[in-house]
Amino acid sequence: MIKNLLSADKWKYAFYTVSHPADGYYEIRHRDRGSVPVAIILVIIFSICFSINRMSASFIVNDINPTSVDSLKELFSVLLFYLLICVSNWSITCLMEGKGRLKDIAIAVGYSTIPATFCIAIGTVLSQFIAKDEDAFYYMVVGIGIAYTLFMLLIGVMTVHNFTLGKTLITILLTFVAMLLIIFVTLLLFDLINQVLSFIRSIYQELIYRA
Amino acid sequence: MVKKMFLPKLNKLKKAIALCLTSVIAVSSVVTLTANAEDEIPYDTYNYNYWKYIVKTPAAYVPDGIVTMDQIGESTLSSPQDMCVSADGDIFVADTGNNRIVVMNSDMTKVIRVIDSFDRDGAKDGFNAPYGVCVSESGNLYVADSNNARVVVLTPEGEFVKIVDNPQSEILDDDFAFVPLKVTVDYADRVYVISKGAFEGILVFESDGNFTGYFGTIDVKISPWEKFWRRFASKEERSNQKLFIPTEFTGIDVDSGGFIYASNIDSEGKQAVRRLNPQGKDVIQKGENGNVGGDITFSKYGDYGGPSEITDVVYRGKGLCSLLDRKRGRIFTYDKEGNLIYIFGGIGFQKGTFMTPVAIEAISDEILVLDAERNAILKFKETNYGNLINDAVGLRYDGDETLAIEKWEAVLTLDENNELANNGIGKAYLTSGDNKKAMHYFKLGMNRKYYSIAFKRYRNDILAKNMSAIMTGVIIFIVAFIIFRKWYRKKSGKKKEEGLL
Repeated sequence: MIKNLLSADKWKYAFYTVSHPADGYYEIRHRDRGSVPVAIILVIIFSICFSINRMSASFIVNDINPTSVDSLKELFSVLLFYLLICVSNWSITCLMEGKGRLKDIAIAVGYSTIPATFCIAIGTVLSQFIAKDEDAFYYMVVGIGIAYTLFMLLIGVMTVHNFTLGKTLITILLTFVAMLLIIFVTLLLFDLINQVLSFIRSIYQELIYRA
Repeated sequence: MVKKMFLPKLNKLKKAIALCLTSVIAVSSVVTLTANAEDEIPYDTYNYNYWKYIVKTPAAYVPDGIVTMDQIGESTLSSPQDMCVSADGDIFVADTGNNRIVVMNSDMTKVIRVIDSFDRDGAKDGFNAPYGVCVSESGNLYVADSNNARVVVLTPEGEFVKIVDNPQSEILDDDFAFVPLKVTVDYADRVYVISKGAFEGILVFESDGNFTGYFGTIDVKISPWEKFWRRFASKEERSNQKLFIPTEFTGIDVDSGGFIYASNIDSEGKQAVRRLNPQGKDVIQKGENGNVGGDITFSKYGDYGGPSEITDVVYRGKGLCSLLDRKRGRIFTYDKEGNLIYIFGGIGFQKGTFMTPVAIEAISDEILVLDAERNAILKFKETNYGNLINDAVGLRYDGDETLAIEKWEAVLTLDENNELANNGIGKAYLTSGDNKKAMHYFKLGMNRKYYSIAFKRYRNDILAKNMSAIMTGVIIFIVAFIIFRKWYRKKSGKKKEEGLL
């Protein structure tokens, strides 16, 4: 099963989606040509490239202290963010009669990271060969990658849910609201759990001291 | 018999071993003692790196004793507020609480003279809380006689010359009170006076004693946020809010070119010193960090929290100026470009720390700080590290960057992360044409501008050297690509014919 989901065909299809977003996402939704494990691995690769860029892009374009970069922490944050986007988009599109399943959203978001990954990697290498007044090239490369990623994300959401463009934009806006809501509720939950735990702990301590 | 023969020898051996051991212990204890003595600097010495993190550095200056008046046979000072070093090295201290000026020789071993009164047109006159003191280039002594609302000018021997007082001008308020706190004099005998409560700036008097106007006003900064809230506040609320008045100047010094260095207490800790040109415009350079306000990172709360409070400034020649912070007792030294070059000093009760530092002066390779609570002058002498940095910065000020490289290299052996040293060495390599080494040092010094210059030269060299190889490679690649494409099209064409694809 998992072997099938990680087959060479699935990998090739991910790159086909980059060059043909509309067709690619259509077949992902309707012919199951996408694969969630591939999407997750693509997100992980994106996170690694992102961390490498922050750590070792030339100091000409990079104002980050390399010792402050924790790639493992960044990996977890990126994965968490990925999960958050997928879940909030799914919960919004469910209400807005989107046709996509959670699986399709995960694939759409995962595949759309490819251009950003690619361009950030190229930018990191390129940054080693530029001087201060040539940094526009670096920003152009990275900017193109991120712009294409956003474009793919838009097309992906649109195609997977069978939305019009206007509805997609509204959905994406609402997705952000949903993300904030989820974060708020999660923090609230953690805080409450913390309070309950500290309450139990103080009862335990009280009992211990009395006994 | 054998035993007896052996015993004394054994004893000798034992003694020898014991002697060895004790001597080793003694030597090692001496070594540790001397090591401790060097570590016994009662304050932190540090600097800020590119990321504004605190980096510990070796001490640039170490305590070199404390001078009180009792030591040199004179009655003790009473909350002295200012001091000044004359051209021939005499030290003038404004003994504010005792209404007198004490003059000492340059190594502060004896009191030359005590000026507590002067003969003014036949009548005896004296000081009332003399707050500031300054010696002009021509050798005259200027005393800011604060409670008498005047600046008294005397010869170095204490003979009366003239009085500068009672500024008259339309720009002054009717209820303006002239309370001179600090005074300095430039090469043309113009008198610059900081008056208490004069928020408009420094008062300038011509050499004939005429008041010419204010100088170097500090602009008030109001954030958009504060402006926004003031719009909604009622009149009463507005009157209850804090007033947006500029800060006063705290200390003043003049360099040989007539530029005035004036310190002030900046509530944001961004700019605590100004270098004022003859028009009164601030022309200070703020260095890599864009900050000449003392400590860059500090905690916001607590007794020692908040930005540095700079009370005095001294111009030390070769573009160096040192600021004295009364909050944490630090002395910050900046070079001409406004880069922090070293920090030392601290508040405390130990030897070499301050209680209430009020004034700073420099004399040859020493820094003197006047403490109003200890009623004493603290001396600091430069270490090898401080000396190397001072020399290197001085050489750079004179334009001898190549001579400075030796000094900077010696600095790097003491303080590996010194960014100024790395940049100094990088610049020397850049001028000598060793671009690769220059790149290495500029990268360590986080200097993007010069790194780019070195890098461009390096890249051009490599390209020029390998041009033929690179062009051949490109042509071979293009040819190979064309052939591959032809072959690939043929193959896939065949496949299509066979109906495989």
